[in-house]
Amino acid sequence: MARTLMRFTGVGGQGVLLAGEIFAAAKIKEGGNGLKTATYTSQVRGGPTVVDITLDDEEIFYPYANDGEIDFMLSVAQTSYDLFKNGVTEGGTIVVEPNLVHPTDEDRKKWNIVEIPIITIAKDEIGNVITQSVIALAIANTFMKALDDELLRGVMLSKVPAKVHDVNNKAYDLGKKYALEAMAS
Amino acid sequence: MEMREVISTGNDLAAEAAVDAGCMFFGGYPITPSSEVMHTISDLLPEVGGVAIQMEDEIAGIAAAAGAGMAGVRTMTATSGPGVSLKAENLGLAQMAEVPLVLVNVMRGGPSTGLPTRVAQGDVRQARNPSHGDYRSITLCAGNLAECYTETVRAFNLADRFMQPVIVLLDETIGHMHGKAVIPTVEEVKKGIVPRKTFTGAPEDYRPYGVGADEPAVLNPMFQGYRYHFTGLHHDAKGFPTEEIETCRKLIQRLEDKVMMHTDEIELNEEFMCDDLEENDILIIAYGSVSLAAKEAIRHLRADGIKAGLFRPITLWPSPAKRIKHFTDKVKNVLCVELNIRQYTEEVERVSSRLDIQGLYKVNGRAISPYEIVNKVKEMI
Repeated sequence: MARTLMRFTGVGGQGVLLAGEIFAAAKIKEGGNGLKTATYTSQVRGGPTVVDITLDDEEIFYPYANDGEIDFMLSVAQTSYDLFKNGVTEGGTIVVEPNLVHPTDEDRKKWNIVEIPIITIAKDEIGNVITQSVIALAIANTFMKALDDELLRGVMLSKVPAKVHDVNNKAYDLGKKYALEAMAS
Repeated sequence: MEMREVISTGNDLAAEAAVDAGCMFFGGYPITPSSEVMHTISDLLPEVGGVAIQMEDEIAGIAAAAGAGMAGVRTMTATSGPGVSLKAENLGLAQMAEVPLVLVNVMRGGPSTGLPTRVAQGDVRQARNPSHGDYRSITLCAGNLAECYTETVRAFNLADRFMQPVIVLLDETIGHMHGKAVIPTVEEVKKGIVPRKTFTGAPEDYRPYGVGADEPAVLNPMFQGYRYHFTGLHHDAKGFPTEEIETCRKLIQRLEDKVMMHTDEIELNEEFMCDDLEENDILIIAYGSVSLAAKEAIRHLRADGIKAGLFRPITLWPSPAKRIKHFTDKVKNVLCVELNIRQYTEEVERVSSRLDIQGLYKVNGRAISPYEIVNKVKEMI
């Protein structure tokens, strides 16, 4: 496969880091290479954070996504969206949480903007806001078709305690369902 | 060598390497972006009967680590640039008293508190001489995840061989990036451990600092009947302060010569796509995380028909001077890429006797991208 570059952005404390680690680990488990880097500010909470995920069959040297080459971005905070959107290649997909991120009309012409209320789903349908990172993981993988779903799910489950496997399985399923619906519409 | 594949971060790998290399003590104080080294080793050391302690500040952290080194165990501290500034005094003491210890410095932006969460390589010059006086720093620099492990292991072996602090430089990017690393098995690491020398004769004949002109001190572990004295003052063969002219001269000359007469045991570098370089090609010199961008840049440049290669010092101090000169004598276009302003370029100028070395530098806390290097190279030719 060609190189896949994904970027997850939010604000500190939202927990977008874990999704990056899961992606990288799953790609390595598949026999390829995966790297995750995170950039954050010295604000403990509330500062913009960005996680870059690089997946490739070849060896990856530079661990950050080059601006303009990112295939997929997911954003759950306006400040981070504004700061990092220009890294996405023209025509690339940006999934936003519509309650928190409001893309401009120009943005909608430049990129394939998809609105999925990730945080509302996590809070209301699953009852645990922390599961938003697993919903995000499933959405990203559904759009990018980067990895086998069950492989990714398995790695995800290996990184969370057994007592929360059920809610995280549900989060993964819901993320995939919403992504498929968005792709069909 | 038997290898294994792991998925980890640079900071975690440095901590695991320390424990696998036989480190039994960690004294430190958390500071971004090095804190995970301390978090992880605090989990690992108690499992093997070792001790990790968070002291009241960075100074106490290295003081505790040096104390463990004096007692005879492998010992480590970890910090970032501002912490090294605080630890400088005790690094000097450890140089003078010849106490082996490993200091991992995960570099961030400076000077002062700088940019805590951002990447930089601003501590390269500091690592050469963190404290005053004449001594030779041994500084290793990891350029990928695997080297966060292997260079930390090597640091412990060098510290015991040369009886002095050894600095391992990581940077924020390398320390925090998460991915695959292929590293030696624990058994391989254990096989490679050479414990520090000890004196086994009669205690009354023991002269810890009475060694050959290019040899390190022989410091026996404490509490085994071999009594001697630690001091930062110029000292005699038993470690007691002295102002005797020849003893003072020989001591400082020995601190110089024990390292500089044995640089072949310390120097290490990587030569990436350098085999076919000719006079009019491009030699890039970079280290740490910047070398990752340089390798990616070289892929792009070669795809465009531009022959470029990377010389990457892994041992920064003492520099791999002969290999640098070999390439700077051969290749006309030399580009140093650093996340600081000329800190290693000046060393390349010194060892190459050339003042036309080109540079690409960045000091705003952001990484240098492969494309920035590609563009710079295209400007040069």
